[in-house]
Amino acid sequence: MTRYIVRRLLSLPLLLLGIVSLAFLISHATQGDPLASIVSERQMDNPEVVAAAKARWGLDKSLPEQYFIYIRNLLSGDLGTSFRTKQPVAQDLLERLPATLELVIAAMLLGSTTGIVLGVLAARFRDRVIDHAARLWALIGSSTPVFWSGLIFLYIFSVVLGWLPGPGRLDARATPPEGLTGFLTIDALLIGDMGLFWDALHHLMLPALVLGWTVMGIVSRLVRASMLDVLSQDYITAARARGAGEVRVLLNHALRNALVPTLTIIGFTFAYLITGAVLTEAIFSWTGIGSYAVDAARSLDYPAIMGVTIVGGAAFLLTNLATDIAYAFADPRIRLS
Amino acid sequence: MGRQQHVRWASLKVAAMLYAGVTAVTLLPSTAAADDALVIARDIDINSLDPARGFCDTCQIYFSNVYETLVGLGKDNATLTPRLAASWEANADQSQFTFNLDPGAKFSDGSPVEAKDVKWTFERLKNIKGGAAFLMDPVTSVEAKDAQTVVVTLSGPNSEFLNIVSAPYAGIINSDVAAASGATAAADAETTDKAEAWFLANSAGSGPYVLANYKPDDELRFKANPEYKRTKVAISDIVIKHTKDAVTQAQLLESGNADIAMQIDPDTAKTLNTENLNVETIPSYNFLYVALAPGAKTAPKLSKEIRQAIGYALDYDGIIEFTVGGQGTKTPAPIPNGFPGTSGLPEPKQDLEKAKELLAKAGVPDGFEIDSEFPNMNSYGVDLSLLSQKIQQDLSKVGIKVNLTPVEFSVWRDHVRGDGIPLTVSFYAPDYYGSAQYVQFFGMMEGTPWFNRAGGKNDPSIANPATAELLKKALASAGEEQEKAYHELALGMIEDRIIIPVVSPNLVLASSKKVTGLRYSACCNLLMDELALQ
Repeated sequence: MTRYIVRRLLSLPLLLLGIVSLAFLISHATQGDPLASIVSERQMDNPEVVAAAKARWGLDKSLPEQYFIYIRNLLSGDLGTSFRTKQPVAQDLLERLPATLELVIAAMLLGSTTGIVLGVLAARFRDRVIDHAARLWALIGSSTPVFWSGLIFLYIFSVVLGWLPGPGRLDARATPPEGLTGFLTIDALLIGDMGLFWDALHHLMLPALVLGWTVMGIVSRLVRASMLDVLSQDYITAARARGAGEVRVLLNHALRNALVPTLTIIGFTFAYLITGAVLTEAIFSWTGIGSYAVDAARSLDYPAIMGVTIVGGAAFLLTNLATDIAYAFADPRIRLS
Repeated sequence: MGRQQHVRWASLKVAAMLYAGVTAVTLLPSTAAADDALVIARDIDINSLDPARGFCDTCQIYFSNVYETLVGLGKDNATLTPRLAASWEANADQSQFTFNLDPGAKFSDGSPVEAKDVKWTFERLKNIKGGAAFLMDPVTSVEAKDAQTVVVTLSGPNSEFLNIVSAPYAGIINSDVAAASGATAAADAETTDKAEAWFLANSAGSGPYVLANYKPDDELRFKANPEYKRTKVAISDIVIKHTKDAVTQAQLLESGNADIAMQIDPDTAKTLNTENLNVETIPSYNFLYVALAPGAKTAPKLSKEIRQAIGYALDYDGIIEFTVGGQGTKTPAPIPNGFPGTSGLPEPKQDLEKAKELLAKAGVPDGFEIDSEFPNMNSYGVDLSLLSQKIQQDLSKVGIKVNLTPVEFSVWRDHVRGDGIPLTVSFYAPDYYGSAQYVQFFGMMEGTPWFNRAGGKNDPSIANPATAELLKKALASAGEEQEKAYHELALGMIEDRIIIPVVSPNLVLASSKKVTGLRYSACCNLLMDELALQ
């Protein structure tokens, strides 16, 4: 298996180069004025100002020249400077990635665990009240638009009940810890500030619940379907005939086999949410990669678009690899070679 | 129970306890220590924190509060007041201005504000060729006569120059500090200045606040400048929290997580629980307009009569009702109400009979088809998509079929500057108090942005020969004569009907009841040193 992992890791840069080249061509082929976030509307008809801006940002060069300069800089670790934020793209990504990962990991943990538990219960008690309730809950979760549930949750839990704080990762008046991991809950613990830890955790709850509800809906329906399939297999009947307890049958014999297709979805959803949690990020003023990607695309911020593409591409490739490895653990019949 | 099963059950119990613990935490009160910083919720649209490069609404707020200008704008939004310049005088034809600096003014590092800093700032603003470089277009030379005296010479008379230097982008920078960090005012500053990144993390002004921290798309933090003595600064820490939409801003305000919300639209304002909030709706100087481009590549015939017919076909009251729930005002000319020359202008009114009559006279009694591309965005609380649909509906009443295409702003900019867009909608906010900027942007004379966008090069007939001369007259005069010249310019732009303002949305000032001193400034948006917490 080690050889397989090493081989997959070695092919990563090549695949990323392909993704980057394609993204470069597509973004530059898009109609629009990349100077929109650089030159003010008042000055955009001033040829001197436009020429100065083009020269400063390298947009006066031909497309192949721009491409080779970008790849050369990329190989030396320079992702360029964002047209919009005026900061190095690498810095932008490093500031935003922990925020997204913190949110997505919390949502995946909540969504996956709840989804698996509900899926197992729904399959075990098929066509009974638990099953109907779990399916309804899952259906609402997976079909409710995040922008709607986010605003409703905010209104109920933050404005009406006052149980949880409003948007943002921390109380706006609090000072965020600097220069650590970027995961505010972890950083607060590292500096031993429990007040800050609770504040960060409280702010994480609502967006994680909203995003996790969607994940839960997808996972629970898939787990239920897989469990129903597995529970009808002969080896389950055989296990029960041998006197195995119901919990053991469900968890040891059925769930382990039913998890294989679920792992694919969990892995795919995780990778997707790295750049796809944009609506949740927008509603909860969560400064993450998703909203950065959308803002970059809207303003034709080429360096930022490329940076997000690299992060998104790497997330998908690494998650695919992790999912393949997880298969082997979940099902010993699978051999990676 | 076997060992393996024991381990499994133990793991399950631990997982269940962790899960229950995490869920229970949601019910615990937050214990984070909150200080007494004032929090403002707004969509941070910053494109630079360098006064020579930035150009945006939040930039106006930042520059106004961190970099003092020579001249300020009074609370009446019309009178100029001393700021860094304790006094000033102009020569007879208003082509040379002498500013006498306040000897007590100091930058945040304690060094005095001197004439050399003014010279350096103005020259850098011009030479960097950034967002607001046009402000220095009239300037031919800046001379530091002595440490406290600056003489600015212009290429011609310009009675609006004092207003220009009240624009936040003309805030004075500590030249020694900035130059040591890679800034330059040299003629080739557009390529040799390397200080933009430095300005993102540092400030070098003499205003009431200094930059404490800036995280793009997250927050902008200010700290009171201990060297600032012009006014008493009541709040030591202010945070502008990036909050994109009006509903979330309202929720932050209602839940007490923000003290001021700056971009709540009138519809959202109606839903606010005002028990602990002050909500005031006031007219703004921003407006949205319809723009016609007779010289656009795909434009149908858009003679003056046809353009005037379009002006008469629009239901101005209906537009205000439809887009901002009635919370807006009509703007007769592309100069905001209350600016020089706007008093007594004829209010726009829908007159479908007149519109049909003009179309018949122009040879298109049954109307025509026209393409309209517009930026798919919300501006000053107005959804441009809704606005365009209302315009489409209004024009259909006189037989004009409008084909709408929403596009991203960056695409719109590309198209409006390229082949042109026959009919579009856009928006404008003042850079300072003064009417010349509108004539220089919207006027139908050689070189203005909208003369080019309307296709003046393909169709020179859209030029209004009186505009250039009248502007020159307005800039060379003062008082009533100046007012009269701007009035004539406004009437000319109304008759040209290239730019048809349709709504000036009201501004909602929403804040916690403990906030005092909140007001709207025409030049600077929000002046933080006037704020206080009860």
